[in-house]
Amino acid sequence: MKRTGFIVGFLAPAVLIYLALVLVPLGQALIFSAYQWRGVSAKRKFVGADNFRELAGDHDFLRSVTNNLWLLVGAGVVIIAVSLVVAHLTAAPGKSAKLLRGFSLVPQMVSLVAVAVLWQFIFNPEGLLNATLRGVGLSSWTRTWLGDSHFALAGVGVAFAWYAVGFYALLFGAGLRNIPAEVNEAAELDGSQGWHRFAQITWPMLWSVKRTAITYLVINVMNTFALVFLMTRGGPDRASDTMLTYLYEQAFVNSKFGYATAVAVGNFAVAMILSLAILFFLRRDPTSSQNRSEA
Amino acid sequence: MKGIFQWFAISALAISVVGCSQPAGSAKANEPAGSTAKELKGDLEVVAFKGGYGLDQYEKAGKEFGEKHPDLKVKVTGDPRVWLQLRPRLVAGTPPDLMFPGWDMDVWALIEEGQLKPLDEALDQPAANGKGTWRESFDPNVLKLGQKDGKTYLLPYYVMTYGWWFDPGVFTKNGWTAPKTYAELLTLCEKIKAKGIAPITYQGQYPYYMIEGMLLPWAASIGGMEAVNDAQNLVPGAWKSDALLKAATMIDELNKKGYLQAGAVGMSHTESQTQFVNGKAAMIPCGSWLPSEMKEVTPPTAKMQFFLPPVVDGGKGDPSTMLIGVEPWMIPNDAKNPEAGIELFRYMTSLPKAKEFVETKNTLMAIKGSDEMKLPEVLVPQSAALKAAKTVWSNQFRSWYKAAEKDIEGALTSMLNGELTPQQFVDRCEAAAEKTRKDSSIPKYKVS
Repeated sequence: MKRTGFIVGFLAPAVLIYLALVLVPLGQALIFSAYQWRGVSAKRKFVGADNFRELAGDHDFLRSVTNNLWLLVGAGVVIIAVSLVVAHLTAAPGKSAKLLRGFSLVPQMVSLVAVAVLWQFIFNPEGLLNATLRGVGLSSWTRTWLGDSHFALAGVGVAFAWYAVGFYALLFGAGLRNIPAEVNEAAELDGSQGWHRFAQITWPMLWSVKRTAITYLVINVMNTFALVFLMTRGGPDRASDTMLTYLYEQAFVNSKFGYATAVAVGNFAVAMILSLAILFFLRRDPTSSQNRSEA
Repeated sequence: MKGIFQWFAISALAISVVGCSQPAGSAKANEPAGSTAKELKGDLEVVAFKGGYGLDQYEKAGKEFGEKHPDLKVKVTGDPRVWLQLRPRLVAGTPPDLMFPGWDMDVWALIEEGQLKPLDEALDQPAANGKGTWRESFDPNVLKLGQKDGKTYLLPYYVMTYGWWFDPGVFTKNGWTAPKTYAELLTLCEKIKAKGIAPITYQGQYPYYMIEGMLLPWAASIGGMEAVNDAQNLVPGAWKSDALLKAATMIDELNKKGYLQAGAVGMSHTESQTQFVNGKAAMIPCGSWLPSEMKEVTPPTAKMQFFLPPVVDGGKGDPSTMLIGVEPWMIPNDAKNPEAGIELFRYMTSLPKAKEFVETKNTLMAIKGSDEMKLPEVLVPQSAALKAAKTVWSNQFRSWYKAAEKDIEGALTSMLNGELTPQQFVDRCEAAAEKTRKDSSIPKYKVS
């Protein structure tokens, strides 16, 4: 009994803070999504599910969801592939691996605003990318990258991938180091090398890291705001609008706070569904003894 | 990861708004305020947008005003994104006494929600110098921009003029003159292009610069004020009228002929304006804040001069027509010391203070006579154009119907990207206007 009181006493402050700062606002968001509210006074009108009905038929919102999903697939694949390569390179002993590990984390230390400005400079029509293309005789490839409806979202995706790779490389690096040495040695003795070893040993054994990384990636991409807002403002003509830039527009530009909260709930639902789906599909450790006996 | 923090930042903001949304203090009716007879005392809090003109002039005025009223404690604060800070305070019913919430505050929502005091009683009292009423000291064309249903809620301070800019040094050197008509513009653009300079650049990420610098002035030039008034008043068909279509076709023509800088469609305001000040582009449509906004990056040899958007030969509109804008000041309905707020602003808009602002900040003011002095060089063409203008108007559509404006801006970008024809562009504009017309939750306004 005394022990329980002790535990509760220590847990209570954290739980209370979590309740006050996370759960209560989340609940409030749900409540406000049922109101028409301009967010400039306390006056609100209850509209029930109207905001959600409007949301379901809102092509601009659906486009932003699609853009988020494209970012998730496009940037996600690049991020995971590149970070795996970087993780492998940095797992090797030696100074250059250490140096690379340091370098890969540099973007993480830069503020997102600086990342956006940097990539804006690169993608500027007079910027680094077009200058390089012209320099190597590929003038016909030059574009107004961020002003082109076919490339703006990809441009944001590239900036996001550049920023995020270091973090995921760190995650995968830790995962690689966690693969028992005897497994690697056994693989080596059995003559498993290169791609075969990666596909048969490393990739399956990275299961728990993979699961964390992908879930994290989903949350990250669904929360994309600053990069888009700063690089393209969702343009041209909504080509790179994401759920959160759309939310911002509804709340702070159009003064539709109730509707914006419904967008937030929609965003939460999409992220939740995707995360749960990932946890479901990756629920079994392919390397666990139980699985192997089943197989 | 910072993405998450970004989300938290927004959530926190929303939470702070939500959290403060309980009983909104006293739900006072819109009481008129503004008696000058009352002794001013207590605290006077002023919150202002810290934009290109800074806060120093407001702070100075506050200090001077405080010295005149020893029982009054004046506090002036500001921020470049002050509108975000003011929203939760307005919701909580604890706003400042005088506020200048900046360009991104939805001021019409504030009026709709009864958050602002009507100021007509105060305006009908004497001006700061005692000569005539305070109302008479403002330019009536500008004052009317803050009115709804005959009541004045928003007071103007500085006046922004919209037009085009060129570098007189570059033009003189090349023997060019600022084009007065669209035909002259086409001829000039060809000459500029031949020199290897982009004739016109524009703030592609913010298409309203082009809407206010080309589309609407040209529609007004072609169809007269009726064309743009009808568009602003959401008259069915007005956004796809012949005037709007012709104006859109002109933009498309400039684009197709390569007179608009390649790539500008993806540029932010600062990127494109930098192209202009560095001489990579010869002209740019922009408001009167351009010189102060670009002060830090303008090479010492570069100069910039304002001119009115070229008009269309044979158009119905008067060639002197001028587009202006204001960023208004206001008194919140829940202000604790509204009288003091009003009196401070009356002092700020007195002729000597207005002239001081003109001189220090290089902008025109909404106060009559404030430009009767030796004006800073950069203001001379703007002031002359404003004085000569037979019609002065403002694009209020952008602040009234933000969702429609966003649609129209998106459509303009698509036209510039060659994805829409001018006809498809105006059809989309009309569809955006139609959507707003049908949406009963959006309050409707009329150009007065």
